[in-house]
This record gives sequence, C-alpha cells and structure tokens, in this order.
Amino acid sequence: MTLTADARTSDGQAPPLDDIDGPSAPALHATRLTAGHVVLGAGFLLAAAIVSILVGPAGLPVGAVLAEVLSRLPLVHLHSGLSATGVVVVWQLRMPRMVLGGLVGAMLAIAGASYQGAFSNPLADPYLLGVASGAGLGAALVVVGAPVIGQIPSDLLPVAAFAGAVLAVAATFALGRSRASERSAASLLLAGVAVAAFFTAVQTFLLQRSSPGQLSTVYSWILGGLSTAGWGQVELVLPYVGTAMVVLLACRRLLDVMSVGDEEATSVGVRAERVRLVVIVAATLGTAAAVSVSGLIGFVGIIVPHTIRLLAGPSYRRILPLSVLFGAGFLILADLLARTILSPAEIPLGVVTAFLGAPFFLVVLRQARRLG
Amino acid sequence: MKRSWVRRFLASALTAAVVSVLLSSATSAAPAPAPQVAAARNAAAGSAFPVTVHSGDGNVTIPARPVRILCLSPSSTQMVYALGAGPQVVGVDEYSSWPADAPRTKFSGAETSAEDYLPLRPDLVILAYPGGTMVQQLRKLEIPVLVLPAATTFADVDSQLAELAAATGHLAAVGAVEASMNQDIAAAVRKAGSAARGESYYIEISPDYYTATSKTFIGAEFSLFGMRDIADPAGRLSAYPQISAEFILKTNPDYVFLADTVCCQQTPTSFAHRPGFSALAAVRLHHVLGVNDSVASQWGPHTIEAFVALIAQTLRP
Repeated sequence: MTLTADARTSDGQAPPLDDIDGPSAPALHATRLTAGHVVLGAGFLLAAAIVSILVGPAGLPVGAVLAEVLSRLPLVHLHSGLSATGVVVVWQLRMPRMVLGGLVGAMLAIAGASYQGAFSNPLADPYLLGVASGAGLGAALVVVGAPVIGQIPSDLLPVAAFAGAVLAVAATFALGRSRASERSAASLLLAGVAVAAFFTAVQTFLLQRSSPGQLSTVYSWILGGLSTAGWGQVELVLPYVGTAMVVLLACRRLLDVMSVGDEEATSVGVRAERVRLVVIVAATLGTAAAVSVSGLIGFVGIIVPHTIRLLAGPSYRRILPLSVLFGAGFLILADLLARTILSPAEIPLGVVTAFLGAPFFLVVLRQARRLG
Repeated sequence: MKRSWVRRFLASALTAAVVSVLLSSATSAAPAPAPQVAAARNAAAGSAFPVTVHSGDGNVTIPARPVRILCLSPSSTQMVYALGAGPQVVGVDEYSSWPADAPRTKFSGAETSAEDYLPLRPDLVILAYPGGTMVQQLRKLEIPVLVLPAATTFADVDSQLAELAAATGHLAAVGAVEASMNQDIAAAVRKAGSAARGESYYIEISPDYYTATSKTFIGAEFSLFGMRDIADPAGRLSAYPQISAEFILKTNPDYVFLADTVCCQQTPTSFAHRPGFSALAAVRLHHVLGVNDSVASQWGPHTIEAFVALIAQTLRP
C-alpha cells in the first residue's frame, strides 16, 4: 500500500500522475492502483496457474512437471524425465486449458465490472444485454441444424455462438434506442431482458424438437467447461479478448467519472452515452469470444468485481485491472476444482462457479440493499 | 435508487421467465400425425386378459389385449416387434429406427400433454422417459401406460421383454426372442474368443468426453468379452460420467468406440487429430471405431445383437 498516493488524492491538491490527461473523479476514495494490489493479484494468478499445471488425473510427478515447464525458459537447461505422453499432457492439455481458463475468467470479470460501471448497477453481469441467450441460440442452431445442412464440423459452434451473442446485443441496442428518445441505461436493460427472453424462447423451441443427443450437446455447452481446450481456441479468442481488455482498461477513469451520474459526468466534459457505448461494445465482443469457446460460465462477472470492490474500494481504476488478475486466477482455480473434486470424473465448470457464486451473490444482494 | 433498480430488474426478469415458459409450453403441442390402422388383428391369444404387469412406477392392469399400441421408446419398439406384436402398433416415436417400416410419428416420447396422443386413440402407451405428469394424465383418461426406463443389465432387458410380452399378449414368444438374442451373443463371444480378455476400452458419447461405465447396458455388452472400461474409476456418482483427454492419455485404452458420429460428426480421423491422441495405442493400431450414437442409448434386442457382433468383428477381424 502506498499511502502517499492515497493521501495526495484525498487532498485534492496534486492529482495522481495517471489523472493528468483525463478528467478527475471526486477524490472521495482512494482511487489509484497500488503496487501492493498488483503484486497480490499477480501472485494469486501465478499461484493458481502453477497449481493447475501441476495437478491432473495423469498423476505426473510434480518435480518433473516443474522441470519440464522451466526447461522451456531461456537459459534454463533441465531434463524433466517426463515421457512423451507426459510432455503432451503438460503442453497440449494442461497448459492451453489453464491459459484459456485465465483468458475467459479475466474477460468475464472485467466485462462484468465494466457493465456494473456503465449501468451503475451492482447486479449487472456480462450476460446482461443478451450475450448468453444469443450465444446459446447460435450454438443450438448449429447443433440442431447440422443433420439438415449436412456434415458440419463442430468447430463451427464457436463461430455461431459468437455471431449469436453479437446479434443479440445489437438487437438490444436497436430496441433500447427506439424505445426512448434518449438511450437511457434503464431502457437498454429492459430491452436486454426482452431480447434474452425472445432468444431463449427460440432456443427452447429448437431444443424441444431436437434429438436427445443434440439436446445433451447443447446442454453441456450451456453448462460451460474447458474440457476440450486446446491452443487453437486460445488463438481464436486472444485477438478479441486482448483488444477488449485494452479498450476497457483505457476506460477505467471515465467509468469513475460516470459513477457520480450521467449529468455530473456531462458537466465535466465526459459524454456518458458515448463512453457507455464503447464500454458495452468492447465488453460484449470480448465476452462473446470467451463464451464461444467456454460455454456459459456464470457468476464470474459478479463474484470477482464485487470481491475486489469490497477489498479495494469502488474505484474502477483499481477494480478493472484487478478484475483481470483475480478473474483469471479465480477461473483457473474453479476449473482445477471442476476436474479434481471427483477425479477422474469432471464436473461442469459452470456448476462450480455457480455453486461458489450463488451464495456470494446473496451476500452482494444484501450489501446492495443496505447501500440503497 | 438502487433498491428500485433491483426491484425493476427482478420484476422484468420474472415477466421474461413467465413469457418464456408460456412460449415453450405453447410449442409442445406437436402436430397430430395421421392415425394409422393396425394392418392385421392377431387373434391368437398369448395370455389371459386382464393382465397386471410391472411398470417403472408401480403395477399396471391392462384390461384387454391392446390393439392400438403407442410405443414411444426405440428400445421398446424393438422388443414389441421382436415379440410379434408389431401389427398391434399404431404409432412409434420419431427415434424408433428399427424396424424400418414401423409407423413413425412426430412424437418424441417426452410430450407433457396427454391430449397430444388422443387422436391415435391408443389402448396402451409405452414410454421410457415420460414428460411432466404424463403418466397421471393417461391414468385419468383410463389409458394403460407402461414405463420402461433404461436397462442397465441384460437381466433388465429380459425382464422388460417379459413385461412387454405380457402386456401385448405374446407371452409365448418371450422364450424364442431371448433364445435368439442369447445365441447371437454367444456366437459373438465365441468368435472373439480370448482376444480381448483384460483389454481396455473407451466409449465416447460426446466429444467433450462424456462416456459410459461398465454399470450401463452398453458397458455390460463389453463385459461379455472380458473387456475393462477405463471410465469405471470415474463412475462414483454417475454411470455416464465426464472424463478428460488427460485421463484418456494416461489410461491409454486398447479400443475406442465413438458413439458421437451422428450428433457431433466425430470420426476416427478427427479423434486421432486431437492433441496428443496420435500416440494412443488404439489410434496407432487402428482400434478406433465410429459407431451409430444409438448403441449407447438403445437397449433393444436388435441394437444389442448388432453391436455385440460389431465388437466381435473389431476384436477378431
């Protein structure tokens, strides 16, 4: 904790360096990301990543796996003694699964935090504007349509899920805009609820006419998981998730300004509607890419930002970067639980995050009520 | 401010939920298929009616020999036709693929409103996984309903055959059907000999590694050959657990059967291309076989005989 930075901010005298080129929020809270926070978050992520690489049903010796990983670092010459299969397990199965889990967790957490900021609503999550129902419909269309259209490779599913998610949020935007002359956050949210209901209805209709095999394929995708993760999926989502994170992180100060209300933000020169649009587009594209490979993993976008908010205060300059680190670490750990609790059987990842998330959500709800 | 937000959000979510429930139930009214008349009325009485048989949820009394059977489970359809009760059947579900000339309907067998079935005027409905309160509804309409859930052993298959024989009036045929099935199984096991005793297998139900343990009817088919299911250690909570690519690499099964060729277009080639799988013994020895998905979801005599013969053929080409 660098107390000096906090003290300077609460003075209101000398603004922190990262505020010079942006509008400054009312300095009621400590707002600046401290080195302590970053070290804590990075340490958590690193620990989660290491444990997840070391543990798995293949029961590889821990020392050999560590040596194998370290041997790929420059200037390190180690012989792990792992068999060829062991090397494949580490580099082709555990490593991409851990990296993909980290990317998806980071994306869902920062998207959830950004939505909460953009809508000033503590219950907002990345699926608020229809991403989940759109992606679900896309997945269902591919699975149910496969026998009709002909032989469709299963790697069309992520593309369809992505397209469905983007389409659903675009529909929410179009409807939310036409409903009121001004695009208020409220009308957007309501349009999101309506679009989600509509897309879910179409998906339910499709699934009801599908065969049990198709039903279980879509259902297992909806539950979410990383059981088929490979480097191909990492390459698929990295450009979207990477860009989305950079854009959202760049908006962190603007979200702080907007937290005092649209009118107040406008009075200091922030165009709240425009910021909201940028944040939503970035969060949506990133989330759509993430769910297209991982399925619908719930509650990460709620649990992680709220934990950070409770521990590090309400400033988005802290919440957004820390959401990336803790979101990644949280999902890597959740996936570790999903594949070890009943090992060698797996539990759907969405079940693990919801099992941890649902009780947490109730706490957040109580907190929100007390604040309101 | 925040409190009203919560309330509005919850209220609209609730409305959306109600709307989606209404929409989805509205879609469950499947179009009624054209009634099919039984081609022949077999007068040969195999048993005395009324007869009481054991259903999945208690005893069912069938007052008279049924002549308008609605059979909405592919496995039961195979049994009913094998027993010679085919001419009494007026409709089968859309997934009943054997025999090819069975009167297929658009029903899935999971309908939730008994009214859907009324146009066919059934006097016996056979289901595996009844939807909602279907059984209670049919009882109120005084239509006998027989629930025969998934078999997990060959004994289950035999007892379902016996229940169906009694219910349809073909008790005399049970012995012959069971004998024919047992003969086919014995011939397959004889053909394979000791080729696969102790060999391990992985049966894939979906590409995200859902599988079946030996505690399922398909596992029982492999057990006949003395084969070992790699998924058994994962079967503590479910007989159809999800395992992982890592576990498959570790256990390195001798044989792989892909029962996700229809749902998910998997092939031995796509299997071999998964990360690290080219090193699997089954891949190197070409012991990866794509099979119809139904082998893992249908326990009728036709499916069992065909699949057991296929296993024998794979073990001893």
